[in-house]
Amino acid sequence: MAPVLFLQVSPASGVPIYRQLQDQIRSQIAGGRLAPGEFLPSVRQLAQRLAVNPMTISKAYSLLERDGLVELIRGQGMRVNAPTPSANGKARRQVLLPLLQQVAATARQLSLSPEEVFALLEPLLKESKHD
Amino acid sequence: MTDATPLQLDQLTKRFDRDRLALNAVSLTIPTGSVTGLLGRNASGKSTLIQCAVGLLKPTAGHATTLGQSAWSLDADAKSRLGYVPQTIQLHSWMRVRQLFDYTAAFYPRWNDTLVRDLLRDWDVPPDRKIKPLSPGTLQKLAIILALAHEPELLILDEPAAALDPAARRQFLAALLDVASDSRRTILFSTHITSDLERVADRVALLTAGRLTFDGGLDELKDTVKRLHVTAQSPFSPDFDIPGRLRRQVAGHEALVSVRLASPDLLETLQRDHAARIHVEDLSLEDIFLEMQDA
Repeated sequence: MAPVLFLQVSPASGVPIYRQLQDQIRSQIAGGRLAPGEFLPSVRQLAQRLAVNPMTISKAYSLLERDGLVELIRGQGMRVNAPTPSANGKARRQVLLPLLQQVAATARQLSLSPEEVFALLEPLLKESKHD
Repeated sequence: MTDATPLQLDQLTKRFDRDRLALNAVSLTIPTGSVTGLLGRNASGKSTLIQCAVGLLKPTAGHATTLGQSAWSLDADAKSRLGYVPQTIQLHSWMRVRQLFDYTAAFYPRWNDTLVRDLLRDWDVPPDRKIKPLSPGTLQKLAIILALAHEPELLILDEPAAALDPAARRQFLAALLDVASDSRRTILFSTHITSDLERVADRVALLTAGRLTFDGGLDELKDTVKRLHVTAQSPFSPDFDIPGRLRRQVAGHEALVSVRLASPDLLETLQRDHAARIHVEDLSLEDIFLEMQDA
């Protein structure tokens, strides 16, 4: 049974749709919401649900496959692989990186020093540890 | 089914009157199984291109080859494998909806009654209604259903969603995606609604004043056309330029440049040569379209 993936696409955003899907699925795998052994929805199902071209879905899937996150099981579809610990850490860092790049760019615009940014970030990180 | 390229244009040129060049040596190959969106401003030649492709207009020069035959002299077999939705819809206005479908079905060896029934139901078109008083949106729905019913190998649509409301447009996109999921079937459609195109198309052809200014993958286009916000250590010279530049604005240390990146190395070169900080902005197809138009 394919899990319900809470995938969204926004065609008018500048990011190509295949990358929007790739990013979301990658972060769902990294975050454990898609467990190893689960199957992604079929290309056709997802294309219909999101109203996007099936080739776009195939492209996102094959890039995830290339990165070793999923594996094509003949006759069954795309299965989520068990992540190796290092790959998992890397994947999770990759999810965070674009957000941090934004933080860094904004900090530069505001002329905040790295120390000031760390000082702001640190309590936030510690705070979220408690929930 | 044949193996011929569904649509091939070679140096296609169409001149109206003496001096109005609607299409200027357009060469374009539409591969089997693709969904190509044809983009361009009003009067850029989209409808002329489509009318040449379906054999309604004779080219002044060059060739349009549709389903392996000269578009101007398609035989009955080729016509039965071609579906076309014109921009201006003319139907037999004295008929009732059901009559129109029965009448049209008689011309085709294949006819998918179930599809017709489902689409009429989904789109709330009552089959016993007379054609004449129907709204432009409903007429457009009828034209689309008529073009889909014989399950054409090549489907060509000229501004098919212009008169549809958002809900009907979604249903129309679903119907198109259904066609697109069959790798033997090919779609070419012109549109102003770039967000529709971004959902269903895998290729884009861009017409600018009768010339083809882009032809390629939609993802490739979105991956390569970017807007760069460049901040340098020292002021830019007024003739500052970048290879592949579309539009630029330069003011002091800052430059805003839209560019078609030939290679990602360009960013590194730029960073090094100008000791610059570069913010790369992703662009929607609509933005890309506007940047390429004004370039």
